[in-house]
Amino acid sequence: MLLETTDLRIGYLDGARNMKLAVDGVSLALDSGQTLGIAGESGCGKSTLARALMAYTRPGSRIVGGQVRIGGQNILDLPEPGRRAIRGRKIAMVPQNPLSSLTFHMTIGAQIDEILRQHEGLSKAAARARSIALLEATAMPDPAAVHGRYPHELSGGQRQRVVIAAALACQPDILVLDEPTTALDKTTELKVLKLVSDLRDRFGTALIYISHDLNVIARVCERICIMRDGKMVEAGPTRATFAAPREAYTRMLLRAVPRTTDPSPVRPPTAHPAPGGPGAHPVLQVENLSYHYAAGGLALPFFPRRKGVLAVRDLSFSIRAGRTLGLVGESGSGKSTVAAVISGLLPPGGGTLRFCGTPLRAAASRRSTDLRRRIQMVFQDPLSSLNPRLSVGRILMRPLRIFFGMNPIDARAEAGRLLERFEMPVAMLDRFPRQLSGGQQQRVALARAFAARPDLIVCDEVTSALDVSVQDHVLDLLLSLQAETGTACLFISHDLGVIKRVSDDVIVLQSGEVRDAGPTDAVFATPRHAYTRLLLEAAGSVIEPIPGHAPVSPASQGTNRGDLHA
Amino acid sequence: MPGAIPGTMPRAMRQILRTPMTVIGLVLVLVHVAVALCAPWIIPYGPSQLAGMPFEPPGDRFMLGTDVLGRDYLSRLLMGGRITLTVALVGVLIAIVAGAFLGLCAAWFGGLTDEVIMRLVDTKVAIPSILLVGVLIPGFGQSVGVLIFVIALVYVAGVIRTVRAQALTIKPQSFVAASVLRGESSLSIMLREFLPNVADLLCVEFAIRMSSAILLVSSLSFLGLGISPPTPDWGLMVSEGVGYIHTDPWLVIYPSIALCTLVVGLNLATEGVANALGLDAARGMVKG
Repeated sequence: MLLETTDLRIGYLDGARNMKLAVDGVSLALDSGQTLGIAGESGCGKSTLARALMAYTRPGSRIVGGQVRIGGQNILDLPEPGRRAIRGRKIAMVPQNPLSSLTFHMTIGAQIDEILRQHEGLSKAAARARSIALLEATAMPDPAAVHGRYPHELSGGQRQRVVIAAALACQPDILVLDEPTTALDKTTELKVLKLVSDLRDRFGTALIYISHDLNVIARVCERICIMRDGKMVEAGPTRATFAAPREAYTRMLLRAVPRTTDPSPVRPPTAHPAPGGPGAHPVLQVENLSYHYAAGGLALPFFPRRKGVLAVRDLSFSIRAGRTLGLVGESGSGKSTVAAVISGLLPPGGGTLRFCGTPLRAAASRRSTDLRRRIQMVFQDPLSSLNPRLSVGRILMRPLRIFFGMNPIDARAEAGRLLERFEMPVAMLDRFPRQLSGGQQQRVALARAFAARPDLIVCDEVTSALDVSVQDHVLDLLLSLQAETGTACLFISHDLGVIKRVSDDVIVLQSGEVRDAGPTDAVFATPRHAYTRLLLEAAGSVIEPIPGHAPVSPASQGTNRGDLHA
Repeated sequence: MPGAIPGTMPRAMRQILRTPMTVIGLVLVLVHVAVALCAPWIIPYGPSQLAGMPFEPPGDRFMLGTDVLGRDYLSRLLMGGRITLTVALVGVLIAIVAGAFLGLCAAWFGGLTDEVIMRLVDTKVAIPSILLVGVLIPGFGQSVGVLIFVIALVYVAGVIRTVRAQALTIKPQSFVAASVLRGESSLSIMLREFLPNVADLLCVEFAIRMSSAILLVSSLSFLGLGISPPTPDWGLMVSEGVGYIHTDPWLVIYPSIALCTLVVGLNLATEGVANALGLDAARGMVKG
């Protein structure tokens, strides 16, 4: 057996100086040429486990028991120099964030050369030749030129290729990849995954692939382990496990993954339908929106002007009450610019925006208070969207006091009701954002937006920082709130599965231009543009539907879809 | 984001009490403050009263002896920290309040406001403090008011820089964007969104500048630019006693010890408390 761990346990001291186990009794085995996926939600100990495979732990934690055997030898028994000799040669790691794991003041070439010269004792010229060959093997365009470039001059996908090349430098027997594509766009991710599979076939390297994304693991790995709270809850061949999961937790994870084949948004029935009914009148009409980032700088000596950038070109759409428009695109497609222009963070550019018939001509600071109330925005990173020094109560009370002039007592009572509506206890009013989980933080951010009783809510990647099971819950809440209040929603995401789950209509943006638009069902079923097809391919679920599990119960599906599309 | 999680004060408290140096520092500061507050009621003689013969050595009647004019040295020593502490406290408080406001303005408004404020700060930092003081005090006359103004001016630049740097890390966060979208005024955003996030920084800044300011005031008094005789003041007492250091060394030693314990106490307490709150205090301690 190439790599084997038995009863591996890794502990750390928590705030109260108690020993907690981050990894609790994990045993796994891997033979050469095999691929093993380790999946789990954030905090389940999968990255800690990955580091321990190289006999390394983060400061503050240590391996308290068990063995890690590589080629039969327990590397935990080795002294530090012995461990160093194994790292890179026998087992190498591709870390999570390719930008922070490359040294920014050294050229790409120098960083790979260093590994070869250190471990293999190559001469300068030989090391250079080998690293260029490695870069070439990762399908890097123009490897000789990239050899002399700095990390910031490369794109995200290229940086990830460099990190993979560096990990492969000494032809290790085992390659550990820790969320290597999480920071990348879906289409780039597809390319990197293909590269990883090709390299495995070419070098016969055994792979351990760590990810929270079951889809990604299903694409690359023959076998999978599901981890939860440091324990391995389920392990087995990927296909078989996904087809017939034994554990309830695995089933829950699989169910929570949004798929592009899911039915269109299903909003729960409400006792009090929103006035006018969904889809009654357009809340927001956008015609020929263009946005050009102005040249910046003071235009004084020593303060050169920065060049302007065209972010969005000729975008037109409308959103009706109670409906959701999805805006899909990869980083740099201009989708966040659209959100900023509509919410008023940026002044309007070219084209006309009409909100319930009245034109939007100014940035938020120059709009009327009522208009500001009626358009609310929810941001991507839940922690950064809540002031860490204010209690949840004060955060929720602020819009109530500004928009409805409530006195502190009424506002606090209303804030408590909002919390309960978003399925959190009233006692949380006195907590601070950092004491909440990511999902709770995002629900507080949603509650703050709905506190203003808006007509339009702009959601900018609101679930991209969340685990799939948490994301599922947040999306459910959003849909039910929408059904209750008849709020229109502009939902921005790079994840086509999420878009499919919440949006009635969709627009596909690339480099600020519309590639595809229409009802979500139609666009996803028959994409017109090649880019849409590429996105769909990258997002396409390779997980087989679970037998005996319908994603939505047939009864509720019938009634709601009938209502919506009547 | 620096700073401890709000609501974890008990843990910070425990950490403070676990570090002996911090406790020593806090005790020293508390004793000095208590003495300064109560001095008028506990001194045996008036601070300017000619109670005995000049240069009486420490003994029964005068515990710490008498000075060059025959005034009780213990009484003068107990009273000697009051003016220095007051001047440093008021001066540094003005520097903190003005510095916080200007630093937040520079970060929030950016552009030309930022350029003007920061270039003025650069100008101030380019002039050595002692030179600035040496020009301003003879120019405006030697009084407590001028001294406070000078102290505030010396320290305000550092506060502006620190606050601006911290505020710039807060500015891109979404909760600031959310407050803009609510239509909050600039003043409201600075007070509600930024200030709570720089508050702990300001506390540490205050403590660091305090110890530095106390030394500065004492140095000025020693040089004859600070507090004028016959007011009792440690810096002044050292300067009056320095001529007799060979014959009557206590005239220099006692006020030096008083000054020393106060400044060291402040530094220890600041560093300990800042560490417990998770702030980097070492940065400003070099000049202290």
